[in-house]
Amino acid sequence: MFNQNGLSLDQAPPISVVFRFFFSGALFGVLSGIFILFFQTAIFDPHTIEAVILTHTFTLGVMLSFMFAALFQMLPVIAGVRLSSPIQKANWVQYPFIAGVISLLFAFHLSIPWLFGLASLLLGTSILPIVFIMLKNLLDLQSHSSSSKGMLIALLSLGIVVLLALYLTATLGGVIEGSYYIQIKVAHYSFGLFGWIALLIISISFQVIEMFYVTPSYPNLVSRYLPLTLLCLLIVTSIVGIFNFDIWMISNILLILLLSGYALLTLKRLTQKKRPLSDATVWFWRVGLSALLLSMFSTGVTLFADIAVIKTLSYIFFASFALSIVFAMFYKIVPFLTWFHLNSQGYFTAPMMHEVIHPKTAKKHLYIHLATIVAFIVSIFIPQLILPAGALTIISFGWMTYQIIHAHLLYKKIQETGEKFDMGNVH
Amino acid sequence: MIISQYMKQEHRECDTHFAEAEQAAASGDWAKAEESFLTFSNDTLRHFKKEEEELFPAFEAQTGSSEGPTQVMRYEHEQVKGLIGKLAEALESQDKDAYLSLCESMMILLQQHNMKEEQMLYAMCDRVLPPETKECTLENMKKVEL
Repeated sequence: MFNQNGLSLDQAPPISVVFRFFFSGALFGVLSGIFILFFQTAIFDPHTIEAVILTHTFTLGVMLSFMFAALFQMLPVIAGVRLSSPIQKANWVQYPFIAGVISLLFAFHLSIPWLFGLASLLLGTSILPIVFIMLKNLLDLQSHSSSSKGMLIALLSLGIVVLLALYLTATLGGVIEGSYYIQIKVAHYSFGLFGWIALLIISISFQVIEMFYVTPSYPNLVSRYLPLTLLCLLIVTSIVGIFNFDIWMISNILLILLLSGYALLTLKRLTQKKRPLSDATVWFWRVGLSALLLSMFSTGVTLFADIAVIKTLSYIFFASFALSIVFAMFYKIVPFLTWFHLNSQGYFTAPMMHEVIHPKTAKKHLYIHLATIVAFIVSIFIPQLILPAGALTIISFGWMTYQIIHAHLLYKKIQETGEKFDMGNVH
Repeated sequence: MIISQYMKQEHRECDTHFAEAEQAAASGDWAKAEESFLTFSNDTLRHFKKEEEELFPAFEAQTGSSEGPTQVMRYEHEQVKGLIGKLAEALESQDKDAYLSLCESMMILLQQHNMKEEQMLYAMCDRVLPPETKECTLENMKKVEL
């Protein structure tokens, strides 16, 4: 009669599933910083191989890892989907995924066809099956929330991104001729940036903005139709774009309007929050949403005036948007999960959230993050500043890595030495 | 959707009192924090009582299951009650950092719990309970006192 999965006692996945993806994402972030130190301002020209390598380190290595962490954790909580054997699934995904990302980066750097084949195999077999399993679980749900529908659409986009990527790597690997290479490439990054990254953030925000900060709900019109509208827009444009490339102009204007509207609405929601305190996570959201607005504005400008500097700014702002939201989620999820799992296991010495990561620690990271964004922007005009920008990127992700290790060690310590209630009568 | 509407409204009222107490504690107004926290905890415990004594039994009788979602909700109520106790201790000792830290945990735990109820359990109740049972359960819930 109804699906009870979302209400089961053991609904939350083991904490290691979430931590491991945050950990690998943060390490790829450190790697991004190292690449920036080596590649310097070559990363600002999207046609260079350096820019392609950095983009994939960031979107695949960093963002997709973080988003796996979010999906494994959020699917049971906000969509009522419980994945069976989560540790096993996480292992199947994570190891080939990491190997796949590294192969792809080497393939780009060395232009070796078989490496593209290897990367396609590893990434395809790690990402597509889990996307399929998650999609199937979401489709089986009897009652949907805006978030679960949005996640479904975002996952569908991720599947499309990977399939399009396989066409591109097959072309680069010399397996196919790739007559539609340019069109597929545009569709690939549009689905990746808007259909996957932006849409997943939007879908999750429909729940977490209200949940973490106690704000009014999003209007039904937005939460019900925005994800589907974005997906339809991308699908129609990608198909028509094969024959008539100019359609991307209209599509981009619509995407800019929709995403700017979402950013403004969410910023307004944050001003309506019932909880008075503005901790670092609120500021990460504000920074992220403002960056999304600026990214959309600068993208809008480049539609009418092809100015390289503005284009670069739009990339920097979009990356700032995605990362700010990841950090905002990280500083809520990691302390909460550490407390929640230990508390649920009956440890009355379970550390409070502030003891896992203190708000002041999160605030320090906010300042590092802001300094990183500023350094990148200024380095467009003063190229030497790309070195501090790279160093700040390393510090930012290094900071995050340390917090995960600290939370993990604290968790293990309490499990080994903490005093425990007898939970037999509670269950 | 009469069950959903009524219960959601109660969730929102609890949130408001909780936020008032948090704001007062953050600004060091412990008297106001105590007053708002007391309203929050009384409202929350009354809300739990309404569910556990009226709504859940009606749902369980209708579906023939007392092992499923209602059992989980009861368990989560116990978790929330445990945190209410810890918050009261922090309030009594006027330990601002502990109080605000516990507020974080409470807010996420409670909102997560509320979402599951609002999106699944209440929706199920509105769907499976016959109209007269719904009316009767709602009336009985309104009469529940702590």
